[in-house]
Amino acid sequence: MPQVIEPVDATGVAAALSQSSADGRGVIVRGAGTKFSPPPSDVILSTARMTEGVDHVAGDLVATLPAGISLDAANDILRREGQWLPLDPPRSHHATIGGIVATNDSGPRRHRYGGPRDLIIGIEIALVDGRVAKAGGRVVKNVAGYDLSKLMCGSHGTLAVVTRATFKLSPVAPFSRTLVATGSDVRRLSTLALTIANAPPLAPTAIELQSPPHGLLVRFETTEAAAAAQVKIAAGLCEQFGATPHVVFGQAESDAWRAHEARVFGTPGVVLKIAVLPTDVGDMLAIIERLSSAAAVVCELSGRAALGILLLKISGDHSAYSSIVAELRREASARGGSAVILSAGSGDPMTTVDRWGPLGDAQPLMQAVKARFDPQHLLNAGLTPWD
Amino acid sequence: MPSSAAYNSLFIPVDESFLTELSRIVGRDGMIRDQSDLLTYESDALVHLRSTPGAVVLPKSTEEVQAVVRLCRRSAVPFVARGNGTGLSGGALPVKDGILIGLSRMNRILKIDIPNLRAVVEPGVTNLSITREVAPFGCYYAPDPSSQVVCSIGGNIAENSGGAHCLKYGFTVHHVLGVEAVLPDGELVHLGGAVLDKPGLDLLGVLVGSEGTLAIVTKATVRLLRRAEKVMLLLAGFPSIDAAGEAVSSIIAGGIVPAAVEMMDRLTIEAAEAAVHPNFPKTDAVLIVELDGPASEVDELFAEVERICQTCGATTIEVAHDQAQRDRIWKGRKAAFAAMGRVSPNYYVQDGVVPRTRLPEVLRRIRDLESRSGLRIGNVFHAGDGNLHPLICYDEAIPGQAEHAEKVAAEILSYCVEAGGAITGEHGVGVDKKGYMPKMFAADDLDTMQLVRCAFDPTGICNPGKVFPTPRLCGEVPGPYREHPVERAGLAERF
Repeated sequence: MPQVIEPVDATGVAAALSQSSADGRGVIVRGAGTKFSPPPSDVILSTARMTEGVDHVAGDLVATLPAGISLDAANDILRREGQWLPLDPPRSHHATIGGIVATNDSGPRRHRYGGPRDLIIGIEIALVDGRVAKAGGRVVKNVAGYDLSKLMCGSHGTLAVVTRATFKLSPVAPFSRTLVATGSDVRRLSTLALTIANAPPLAPTAIELQSPPHGLLVRFETTEAAAAAQVKIAAGLCEQFGATPHVVFGQAESDAWRAHEARVFGTPGVVLKIAVLPTDVGDMLAIIERLSSAAAVVCELSGRAALGILLLKISGDHSAYSSIVAELRREASARGGSAVILSAGSGDPMTTVDRWGPLGDAQPLMQAVKARFDPQHLLNAGLTPWD
Repeated sequence: MPSSAAYNSLFIPVDESFLTELSRIVGRDGMIRDQSDLLTYESDALVHLRSTPGAVVLPKSTEEVQAVVRLCRRSAVPFVARGNGTGLSGGALPVKDGILIGLSRMNRILKIDIPNLRAVVEPGVTNLSITREVAPFGCYYAPDPSSQVVCSIGGNIAENSGGAHCLKYGFTVHHVLGVEAVLPDGELVHLGGAVLDKPGLDLLGVLVGSEGTLAIVTKATVRLLRRAEKVMLLLAGFPSIDAAGEAVSSIIAGGIVPAAVEMMDRLTIEAAEAAVHPNFPKTDAVLIVELDGPASEVDELFAEVERICQTCGATTIEVAHDQAQRDRIWKGRKAAFAAMGRVSPNYYVQDGVVPRTRLPEVLRRIRDLESRSGLRIGNVFHAGDGNLHPLICYDEAIPGQAEHAEKVAAEILSYCVEAGGAITGEHGVGVDKKGYMPKMFAADDLDTMQLVRCAFDPTGICNPGKVFPTPRLCGEVPGPYREHPVERAGLAERF
């Protein structure tokens, strides 16, 4: 059984890492465990008790958050001052700040606000040699030194352990409306998504495709008058594309977004993130349709259509998974994109399949960075191809 | 701490056979050796720091850059990449007798993809030329440093340039999606790309803003934005800096994120008036607030901004009604630096950041410093994000005054750090501020940053002597320990 260590602060994390280094023991870094787990190792270093010390300076629109706090808990505190960290990754009531940074995870509002790497302005990390280091700061504008905070975003805990992070925040919009458009042709809906994204009178915070049944969710979070005006314009565009629009707000709006998240993340299955150019989304949708009808699998998808990001959940016949993933990866790669497995249920054959696909010509450089930060390869060993 | 000169002297000086090989790579017209021609490249826009390179090369392709870098690596010759030389921190200061790689000839826009809002450009392309190229499609490239007419994208990437509109739209790092780069061993890598979320470590995120110390970017894929439906701008005069600052705080507290909020004080208003006649009110402070976005939103929020300015005591409010009026107001702001020449023979431009909430306190300290030092200090700043540009006026004809101005500028930086800010918001560390890095960062912080440097450039030949106060040697991983000549001479510690 691995030893579980739950430090309360950066010094505690650094001490635990230093001990593991001395003993040559591998360490799994764990937040709330909402993401893909590394293979078993000697020590589990959990950030569960690192939840204290939220430092919110509302006048500066910034906050420093401890690694172990959940995103929802952090945002409950920030909302008291009418602000929030505008990230909405899946399972945000559990997902921790440290885990969200480590996986650079985001959700539908990425369309407007970007992901963790776009919002982070400072970081504190504990290194395997027992040191604690920081980079960036508490001001949004700052070009002093290397931006290690961005390097940590998406590093999957393989370089160091994130102990605190500072973010720029956004004001909570006074008003929200979501336009739900349904249509019979999902490719046409993806074109509609791009049209809405490119229309200067519109500034949606999220544009999400879903299928099946085919739909587009477009969220407007602004003043009441502006939301009403933009919903009207967007509804007109929907009709031009043969889609049927209706507007939801209040509880119905929350329910629509909850159901949207659950479509991919609510039930077991392999979740694949496919990234291509926005104009190639239509092609990928057609390929997905072809593959799912050819095999005995169920494909459900959501995604940031205007950004070129699709999330695909595959369930059903396990034996067909790996060929479908390989085919989608090949098609995405041919378009300059990628297909990465985000999650797989325990026992799925996908747990043994290459999650990442090719890293390209920068792989040796990534491995060199990893070797400098963690020369003994103790952190989350076996999780990533830059190990 | 070893001086840069002592450190540089340990690199092997270039010899004739090296130079012959170099000219074979870039051609005779792609190499500069003549002493008088080299003068142009002795400094960037931080002109008081100068150093003569052994040669300047002007490659025309990625392959030429690779070949030059490979040759430098083989011969242990340090190299420095340079865009258009507009940097303000000495980031492109040559290493004495090293090679300066000028990228101004790699200045093609290679691809424009309007449906996906992407452009692929070479590093020598100027910032503004991207916007000019895509303007007919209703698009633009968002980062807009004041030098955007001349500064290059390669330089912008090195410095993570911002501009007046980064409050809402972010910095270069948010707008560069991918690069092709030559590593210090001559290998080519592609980081990020036109498609988002390329798997792997976000090395692009750390390369942008690394001040040319990690690699040489030879192509960049940038994000384009659609022009906003509506842009509204106002110029408000206030009886005091504090009143203008109060207006900024109220705008932010009101949940409004303007595209830009700029502030100028009396001295810089006077200077701008003398230089470009923007017809600014003769008050203690002016605020320029720009809102952009869908008309439905901008109209409503702009009325709120006007109301806030009035409540905070604005004595005049001018709302720009057309592009000509907006251009006139922006011209007054953007001319502020150069205009100082109208009111002072010389001036020193500082670049520091304070948390917005600490602005009034830091500005009071600067005013005290002004009366104590006897030097006039103009203040122009990006008020929305707390980025100050104090302009310290002096006369170099008066013995000792230049040094005095430099000390005053340094003291302002310490105010910024004490208030929880940063020693540079957009000009970079370069050579100019590397001595201040320990004010902001502990030794462990700087050592950790150097881990990245060692992974990219284990032999330390890529723009050495910049950013970090203490040069470090990188122990090879893995491999037996070998003492480096720099280490033997006691000039650097092994890391």
